[in-house]
Amino acid sequence: MNNQSGPAAASAAAAQSPSIAVLRDVHFAVDSGKTVFSGLDIEIGRGVVTAIMGPSGTGKTTLLKLITGQVCADRGQVVVDGLDVARLNRKKIYALRRRMGMLFQNGALLTDLDVFENVAFPLREHTRLPERLIRTIVLTKLHAVGLRGAADLYPQQLSGGMGRRVALARAIVMDPEILIYDEPFAGLDPISMGVVLRLIRSLNDALGITSIVVTHDVREISQIADSSFIISEGKVVASGTTAALRDHPSPIVHQFVDGLADGPVPFHYPAADYHEQLLGGQVFA
Amino acid sequence: MITILRELVQSFLTFLERVGLLVRFALRLAAILPLGLLRPRPIIEQVYNTGAMSLVIIMTCGLFIGMVLGLQGYDLLTRFGSEEYLGTATAISLLRELGPVVTALLFAGRAGTALAAELGLMRATDQIAAMEIMAVDPMRRVVLPRFLGGVIAMPLLVSIFIVVALFGAQLVGVEFFGVDSGSYWSQMRSAVELSDIREGLVKGLVFGVACSLIAVYEGYNAVPTAEGVGRATTRTVVISAVVTLILDYILTALML
Repeated sequence: MNNQSGPAAASAAAAQSPSIAVLRDVHFAVDSGKTVFSGLDIEIGRGVVTAIMGPSGTGKTTLLKLITGQVCADRGQVVVDGLDVARLNRKKIYALRRRMGMLFQNGALLTDLDVFENVAFPLREHTRLPERLIRTIVLTKLHAVGLRGAADLYPQQLSGGMGRRVALARAIVMDPEILIYDEPFAGLDPISMGVVLRLIRSLNDALGITSIVVTHDVREISQIADSSFIISEGKVVASGTTAALRDHPSPIVHQFVDGLADGPVPFHYPAADYHEQLLGGQVFA
Repeated sequence: MITILRELVQSFLTFLERVGLLVRFALRLAAILPLGLLRPRPIIEQVYNTGAMSLVIIMTCGLFIGMVLGLQGYDLLTRFGSEEYLGTATAISLLRELGPVVTALLFAGRAGTALAAELGLMRATDQIAAMEIMAVDPMRRVVLPRFLGGVIAMPLLVSIFIVVALFGAQLVGVEFFGVDSGSYWSQMRSAVELSDIREGLVKGLVFGVACSLIAVYEGYNAVPTAEGVGRATTRTVVISAVVTLILDYILTALML
C-alpha cells in the first residue's frame, strides 16, 4: 500500500513521467486586457533542452512566469513536476522554486554584492553549510563558467557576457532540476554567445537537468535544442525538432525560421493609409 | 458638475485604495518582523546606510537652524529684557518640534529618496524577481532591514540634530551676543523636563516609522522604468513631508 500523499506523492509519480512541465489549455491576459495566451498547450520533456521561440511580444517570458508561479493562468492548468502551480501556497511555490534555477535576460545580479557573494547568495539563504564548503561550491561553479578569477569583481565591472555567466553560476549553485533561460543570447557578442551556448548544453548533460530556453535566436538554439516550440498569437503554431520546424508548412513558422521581414507577422504596425496620412496633414501632439 | 463630482469620488477611491495597499504592506512587514530580527547584520548595515550617511546633512542643517534660532530668539527676548531664557526657548522648541520635524524632512529628502530609488532600481533590473525565483522573500531580505534601519536611525539622528542645534544657538547667543553662558545652560537645565525629551524622541520614532515605510513602499512598488523610479522618489519626499506634518499635529495634540 502506498502511504505517500499530497505533493510528495505527486512529485514521486511525476518523476516517472517523461514530461517535467505541462501546460494545458492555458488562457492568460495582462491587466490591460490584452490576450497573451488563448488555449496554449505545451509539454516540456524531462532531461532535455527545450527551446521556446516566437516573435517578440508573443508571451515567451510570460510562459516562464507561469511555469515559475510568478503569475497564474486565467484558465487552464500549469503542472510542474506533478504539481499544479495555481494550487500551491507561497511556501510550496518557494519549495518548488528551490528546485529551479533561472537565468534572467539581464543577469539580474545583486549590485551590492560581488561575484562570489552573488553566487553564494542562494546557499547562504537556504543552507547552513560551513563557510569552507560554501567557498568550495562557489569556486567550483565559477570555474564551470570560466570566471573563477572574477570572484572579487562587482557586477558593474563585468561585461554583458560575463554577467550572464555569473548569473548562470548562481542559477546552478543549488544543483537545480530545471534550469530556465530567458533570452540568454540577447545582446551578446559572437564569442560570448558561443560560450553561453556551449554552457547550456554541457550543463544540461553534465548535471542531468532539464533546460528550458526562451529565445528568438533560431540559428543558435537549433545547434543545441532537442525539441522546440514556436508560439504565435497565443498558441503553439509548431513543435518538434529544429529540422522538423525548418520543413514546417506553416507560413508563420517559415517566416520566423527564415527571418523574413514580412509575412503573416507584418513588418508594419497597423496604421492608416501611408499616402493619405502623409497628405492629410494629421499632426501628432 | 457631475463630471467634477465623479472625478472627486474617483480620486477619493484611488486614495483609499493606496492607503489600503500601504496598510497591507505594513502588516506584511509586521508579520515577518520576528524573522528579520533574527538576522541583525543587514539591519546594522542599513542603520549605517540611512543613519551614518545622513549625518553630514543633519549636522550641517542642525547647526544653522540652531544659529537662526539663536538670532531670532535673542532678538525677541531682548525686547522683554529676558535674553537669559534663550537656552530654554531654544531647547524646548528644538526638543518638542523643530528637532524631530526638520530631521524627518531631511531624512525623507536624503535617506528616503535613496531607499526608494534603490528598491525601485532593484525592481527595474529584475533583482527582486531574481530573489523570488531563488525562493528568497524580498520583503524579508531587502525591505525589512531597510525599514528597520530607518526606524532605528531616526531617533538617533533627531538626538544628534538637537545637540548640534543647541550648540549653534549657544554659538550665536553666548559667543556673538554675549548672553551669559551660565544663564544659558542653567536656565535650560532647570526648565527642560523629561517629558520634553520624551516628546522629541517619540516623535522621532513615529516619523521614522512613517518616513521609512513610505520610502520602502514606494520603492518596492515602483513602476520598473526610469520614469517610474523617478516618480517613486518624488512621491516619497512629498508624501513623507505631508504625513510628517500631519502626524506632528496629532502627536502634539496628544502629548500636550
